[in-house]
Amino acid sequence: MKCEQISELLPDYLQGSLSPDQRRTVETHLEQCADCSEEVAIWQKLSLLPVEQPGPASRARFEAVLQAYQAGRSNQPAHNSQWRKRFSSWNVFHWLRSPLGAAAWSAALLAIGIFAGLRLAGPKPPSPDLAAMQSELANMKQLVVLSMLQQQSASARLEGVTWSTRDQQLDPRVLSALLHTLRYDPSVDVRLAALDALSRHSAQPQVRSSVVSALQEQQSPLVQVALIDQLVEWHDRDARPHLEKLRQSPNLNPAVRQRADRAISKLN
Amino acid sequence: MTLAPDEDLMLQVRDGAGEMLGVLFDRYQTPLFNFYSKLTGDRTLSEDLVQEVFLRILKYRQSYRPGTPFRAWIYQIARNARVDHFRKFPRQTALEPEMLPPVVPSDSAQEQQEVELLRRALRMLPEDKREILLLCRFQELKYEEIAALLGCELNTVRTRIHRALQELRKSFHQLTKGTAS
Repeated sequence: MKCEQISELLPDYLQGSLSPDQRRTVETHLEQCADCSEEVAIWQKLSLLPVEQPGPASRARFEAVLQAYQAGRSNQPAHNSQWRKRFSSWNVFHWLRSPLGAAAWSAALLAIGIFAGLRLAGPKPPSPDLAAMQSELANMKQLVVLSMLQQQSASARLEGVTWSTRDQQLDPRVLSALLHTLRYDPSVDVRLAALDALSRHSAQPQVRSSVVSALQEQQSPLVQVALIDQLVEWHDRDARPHLEKLRQSPNLNPAVRQRADRAISKLN
Repeated sequence: MTLAPDEDLMLQVRDGAGEMLGVLFDRYQTPLFNFYSKLTGDRTLSEDLVQEVFLRILKYRQSYRPGTPFRAWIYQIARNARVDHFRKFPRQTALEPEMLPPVVPSDSAQEQQEVELLRRALRMLPEDKREILLLCRFQELKYEEIAALLGCELNTVRTRIHRALQELRKSFHQLTKGTAS
């Protein structure tokens, strides 16, 4: 057999997954062909590379993050740990049936009705009307997002945050609701989602300054770490003094302090 | 006593038992660390990336679906973590083989010398070739799993491994000749 054919079998030969017949074919070839047998030899040589051990602090660092994370979660009662279960179709229906949801959807249906009516009434509706309708619909969407962000259940608020990311342009009211969510929402998951949503709008100066001020206010280490990472991602050098301040605050979680230290050195 | 499969532990983590992640950490921190350190040659960065992988598992635990092989899932996260890192912090200087300290063949045992040359030869490979060799030789991923991870055909994986080994062999030979002369 030629090297070309053998080379197709070699990777499986190396993993020991050839049939006995195929294996014999390869081995016969290897005895005669220096090139192919050297390929096998280098594969076997790779086992000489020693397994390196991570430093002893690695486990402790992980423990600190895990503990911080668990602590953050235990501050949130049952609804947080079970948000996924609550994020069921029942919940969405429940929301739709709530007075606020009903109002939002009635308004949305009305808008769709008017829109359809205008389209059907004239063959070519004047464009200003169309533009007005589109802005009306956009307003409806904002309204839905805004009302969801005010729901009692964390999963509904989480859904509200997700909805807000559907539009490239952020309505100022939605933006300020998201900023409020980032700073004051009682659920860690919702605050993290709000940060993710806001990270797409870093061009808005308000977003950056809110992330910086949230850094001083947040108590959850998981959120603190996410905020620090975000500032590093933005290469926000102005955030350095704030990070310095954070790392000096007493009772700061050691994992957060380490993260802040690394962030400061990266922003240098 | 049989050990709980990774997948069962991850499902428990997903459902709120974060402490079970400790068991997965103990199982995977060394393989992941080796994946990163052999790929980047940077110990500190490798330790940071291992931490990042486990932080991501906590953050995205809800996205873990029952039936997903955990090993493949964690390497997906590991690859993404590395890509994201280098996107945020582009490498300023690549670690060229010339920058490594010279090998002193005389006193050291032959095996030690071979290990050093092999390490250099591996470092000389383009990153994608180095990565695929690490995945199949050290991380014990099956070719099917690698194909899924890299988003390519099974046969492409075989061809790439073959080419990577050929190139590694060439570099290793060059280095061996260099030290012999």
